Amino acid sequence: MQMIDMTVNGELLHLDVPDDMPLLWALRDVAGLTGTKFGCGIAQCGACTVHVDGKPVRSCVMPVGAVGNRPVTTVEGVSETPVGKKVQEAWLDLEVVQCGYCQSGQIMSAAALLGRNPDPDDAAIDAAMAGNVCRCGTYPRIRAAIKQAATA
Amino acid sequence: MKRSIKILAALVLVAVLAAAAFFFLPAGLDEVTASSNQPKGQELIERGRYLATAGDCIACHSVAGGGAYAGGLAFKLPFGTIYSSNITPDKETGIGDWSDAEFVRAMRHGVGKNGEDLYPAFPYTSYALMSTDDMLAVKAYLFSLPAVRAQTAENSLSFPYNQRYLMRAWKLLFLPKETYQAEAKQSEEWNRGAYLVEALGHCGECHTPRNLMYGLDSGKKFAGAVTQGWKAYNITSDKDGGIGNWSVEELTSYLHTGHAEGRGAATGSMAEAIDLSLRHLTEQDIRSMAVYLKTIPPQPTDAAAKVDPNPPLMAASQAYAPAAQETADRSLGLTIFESACASCHAWNGEGQQSPYAALRGSQTVNDPDGTNLVQVILQGSHMTTPQGSAFMPAFADAYSDVEIAALSNYVLGHFGNKKASVTPEDVAAARNPSQ
Repeated sequence: MQMIDMTVNGELLHLDVPDDMPLLWALRDVAGLTGTKFGCGIAQCGACTVHVDGKPVRSCVMPVGAVGNRPVTTVEGVSETPVGKKVQEAWLDLEVVQCGYCQSGQIMSAAALLGRNPDPDDAAIDAAMAGNVCRCGTYPRIRAAIKQAATA
Repeated sequence: MKRSIKILAALVLVAVLAAAAFFFLPAGLDEVTASSNQPKGQELIERGRYLATAGDCIACHSVAGGGAYAGGLAFKLPFGTIYSSNITPDKETGIGDWSDAEFVRAMRHGVGKNGEDLYPAFPYTSYALMSTDDMLAVKAYLFSLPAVRAQTAENSLSFPYNQRYLMRAWKLLFLPKETYQAEAKQSEEWNRGAYLVEALGHCGECHTPRNLMYGLDSGKKFAGAVTQGWKAYNITSDKDGGIGNWSVEELTSYLHTGHAEGRGAATGSMAEAIDLSLRHLTEQDIRSMAVYLKTIPPQPTDAAAKVDPNPPLMAASQAYAPAAQETADRSLGLTIFESACASCHAWNGEGQQSPYAALRGSQTVNDPDGTNLVQVILQGSHMTTPQGSAFMPAFADAYSDVEIAALSNYVLGHFGNKKASVTPEDVAAARNPSQ
C-alpha cells in the first residue's frame, strides 16, 4: 500500500492509510491527534474542522488523498499561529467552553475567520460560524470571544 | 347490395383474423450463432462483463440488499408497477435455462422465454441495436455469475396495460428493425460512440421525451425529460440548453468521473449511471460517446434555464462569506445555506473539501424549476470518484417543505442568477414522485 505524506502542525507524517480514508480518521486513529472530534460524519456539525492550507475544512468528508502537499493544522497546533493563540486566550478568558465537544471545531473556524478577516462584524461571524453547532448553546460567548480575539 | 355486404363481411373477417394472428400467433424463435470473431471462454465472459457494464444492466436488475442481477426493482408507472426480473443463471427464478436464441429474442424483440411480450421498461428498443455477438457475450457473462434464487414479484398493471399482447402493436411503432449500422462517412470513433450511446448506454430512455404512447419521441431526440422526479437534461448540441458549448474533454470528464470543472457534478440517476456503468468503461470509449453526443442535432429548451457561469451574487462572494447585499436581508434560504451547505459548497461556487461540491456552472442550480436541486437536497447524492467517495447527505427529514423551497430559491438566485419560485407544494410533490 502506498504511504501518504502529509505535513500536520509543521511535522511531516508518513501515514499508512488508503487515500480515500477521511482525513479525520487519519488524524485521530493513525496520527493519534485526538483533539479533533468526530461529530456527525457528514459535514453538518463542524466538530471535525481543521485547517488545510489555512482554510477551514470538515475533515470527516475530506479524503486524505485530496490534501496533497498542503499543510494541515489541527487544534493541537493552532496556537503556533498568532491568530490561533489569540483565539485560544480569548476562549479561556471568557470561559467559552461548557461540555467542550464542539469547541476544537469552533476554535478552528474562529481562527480561520480571523485569519482572513481581522475585524469581523456580526454578519461575518454568523456566515463563518453557522456551520459549527454547539449543543450547549455557547454561541453568545463564542461571538464575544471572537470579538475579543480580534481586538487583542 | 347483398353482394357488397358479403364482401364487407369478408373484409372484416380477414381484418379480424389478421389482427388475431398479429396479436396472438406464437412468437417465432430464430436460431442464432456467433460470428467467427467471437472470443471464447474467459475472454468471452470478460467481454460480456464490459458490455453488461456499458448497458448498466445491474442498475435495474438489482435492488439494495438483494443479489446482484437478481432483479426486483419496482418501476412505478401511472398505470401500475412493473418489477425487474432475475437475470442470474438460476434455473427456476432466473434465466438459467434460457437458450441463446431465447436470450437474443428477448434483447432484440422484447419477447420472454415463453413467448410473452415484455414491457419496454426493459429497454429492448435500445438493445435491439446491439450485434448478436455482443448479446451472446452478455449472456455468457450473466451465466458465469452465481445463480441467485429470487422469485420476481408479479406486476400490478391495470387493464388494458396488463394485456401483454398489446405490446406487439407498440413494438411495431417503436422497435428498430435492424442492428446498429455504421455510418460510413463518420469516423470509427464516432460510430463507436453512437453504438455505446444508442444501443448499450440507452441514454435516450431518460434523455428523450416520451410521446402519448410512451414511446420515445424521435423528433425530440435527447431534448431532456423528467423521469421518477429527476430531470434528465437536454444533451443535444444546443449551445444554450444542451451540451453544445461543452468541450469533448469536459464531456468526457463528466461522463467518466461525474464531474467537470465549471460544469458541476452529476447527481440522481445520472450519478448512479456513472457509478455503476460509465466510470468503469475505458476513457477512449467515454471519449467516443462525447464525440458522438456533440453531433446530436440541437433541440431548444427553456431559455430561462441557460447556465450563467458567473452570476453576480456568486461573483461578489468569497469562499466563506456571501455578498454584502445578501447579508443585509438575511433570508430564510441564506440562513439555511449558511448552516447546512456552505461548509462544503462555499459561497463562491468552488467546492471546499471536494471539487464535486463546486456549484459554479452546474445546470442543476440554473434550472428555475429546481427539479433536480430539490431532489438532491431531499435525497442527497453519492458517487465513487477517483479520490474516494463523494457524497452529500439527505436533508428530507431535516427541513420542512417551506425551508427546502426557500433554500432552493436562494441557491438558484445566488448560484444561477435565476428568479425562481419553487413552492412548498413543489417540494411536497418532489418527496413523492409519481413517475
